[in-house]
Amino acid sequence: MTDAEHGLDKAIRAIKIGVDVSEQEALDRELDRFMKWLKPMLAVDTAETKQVLVSHGVVNVLREDCARQGGLAELQEAAPDFAGGFYLVPPIIE
Amino acid sequence: MELRKISIRQAAETVNSGEVTAEGLIEKTLESCSILNEGLNIFTQIAGIDALEQAKAIDRKIEKGEKLPLAGVPVTVKDDLCYGVLPTGFGSPAFKEFFSPYTATAVERLMDAGAIVVGKTNLDDMSMGSTTASSPDGPTINPWDPERTAGSAGAAAVATGICMLALESDSGGALRQGASHCGVIGLRPTAGQVSRYGLNTFCSSFGQVGVTAISGENVITALEVIAGFDERDASTAVCKERAAGAGTAVDTEGLRIGYPAAAFDHLEPGLREVFEQAREQYSAAGFECIDLELPLLPEALQAYYVISLAESSSNHSRFDGIRFGAVEEAGDLEELYSKSRGSILGREARRRSIFGTHLLSQGSYDLYYRQALRVWNLVRREFAAALGQCDLLMLPAAKTLPGRAAAEADFLDAWTEDLFCAPVSLTGLPSLCLPAGQAGKFPVGLQLIGRPFSEGIMAAVCDRMIREIELFPYGIS
Repeated sequence: MTDAEHGLDKAIRAIKIGVDVSEQEALDRELDRFMKWLKPMLAVDTAETKQVLVSHGVVNVLREDCARQGGLAELQEAAPDFAGGFYLVPPIIE
Repeated sequence: MELRKISIRQAAETVNSGEVTAEGLIEKTLESCSILNEGLNIFTQIAGIDALEQAKAIDRKIEKGEKLPLAGVPVTVKDDLCYGVLPTGFGSPAFKEFFSPYTATAVERLMDAGAIVVGKTNLDDMSMGSTTASSPDGPTINPWDPERTAGSAGAAAVATGICMLALESDSGGALRQGASHCGVIGLRPTAGQVSRYGLNTFCSSFGQVGVTAISGENVITALEVIAGFDERDASTAVCKERAAGAGTAVDTEGLRIGYPAAAFDHLEPGLREVFEQAREQYSAAGFECIDLELPLLPEALQAYYVISLAESSSNHSRFDGIRFGAVEEAGDLEELYSKSRGSILGREARRRSIFGTHLLSQGSYDLYYRQALRVWNLVRREFAAALGQCDLLMLPAAKTLPGRAAAEADFLDAWTEDLFCAPVSLTGLPSLCLPAGQAGKFPVGLQLIGRPFSEGIMAAVCDRMIREIELFPYGIS
């Protein structure tokens, strides 16, 4: 089994895509060609180069915090009922 | 009213003034859509009654005194953009009947401005490709030659004059190569100019929404409508810090255009001459054409494929028959995933997803993926340095003439067609494709690449050169 075949088999199992035998054989050959085609990119000297993850500058787009008065009573509005200092939960049915 | 002979603004004015009704305009457009679709396979869906209802609604608004910038303008929408009114197929048979619960921001903005969606256009398998050759519905035929593919269905729609505007997507060059092969104008805007909310892109880093039309003025009119911050797409935050759109009117006198002569060696025989002639024409028109180099184009293309395939592996994992897509009958969960994914994704999407998974696996990740991220950085720097020497860069859009519709291209040959477009996608820079000349009977397009948010300059140069070269009208009758 070549490196490409081994890698392909692993990739197909990992991504869980159904392919028949003839397609898998074709993909074996294609993956081998593809990996060879990438060789010039590996030869580029990037020793002093950082990785990037975006094509353009990105700024924080989180909405501005909007503060308001709250309180324990408001927070507990959505909470389960409580009694005697404990929240009441449904009984466990065995 | 012949749509190819007037601008979008003029068409909207005739509708706004009541000279023509939107309903009348769309009725005629829909007739042309049906007739031309039989031969060219442009549409996955023609809007029919829905488009007429939209048109009537626009007419009612105008009767009440509203003026809309795109009143009654017929547009097509590529079928990877969600549109709640028609099924959104993503280029997969599994989504033929899928109605998106929401509409993409760009489509919504066009409609709010009065444009009418007349249909959804054909695309490659899960939008993976630049030819429509892998579409489950078969390729869109080039209006210039029935034996060839169009590149993009939206470009074919604009070239035939059945619509004024096509809303499209572009990752590695589908929009730009389509414009090149059909002899129309295609704009891939600056990354972040246009919201991608509602776009099903296979690679999040490079997929953009763009427009195709018959002139630079028309693409800019559309860009002004669809550009701008959208809180549902974080990448549009760049528009928070500056006004979105094309900017103010520009003077094109004395602009310097960078010409990377060595890059043109990669072209199919016979095409180089078209660009040499284009260079002479641009010089004669008063532009200063300067020589420069972009030596990393081939490696940039390889980096694009490593990153985009890795992202497609991740993005397509949600199409598993449970979260999205039709579920197949199976004996257990593993088999269910495998069978469902196998049927949702076509041959090309399966290939890219599997290769992408391989690239992300142990052993490949450090060697290939990380290296691709570093090459991406170098490519960005290379283009920035080139644009430090000139105002615009000139590159071809396609390596070859459009492919034969009946022939199945080798996958690697098809991928290397993106040699001139994919590297630009890595930079996030705007790119406008316009006709450069002809090779035989085929139009050949060139890309003008500018600095971020320089779409207005590129469009002004485009319209000036169209007048100077007198290549138009390029539409097909």
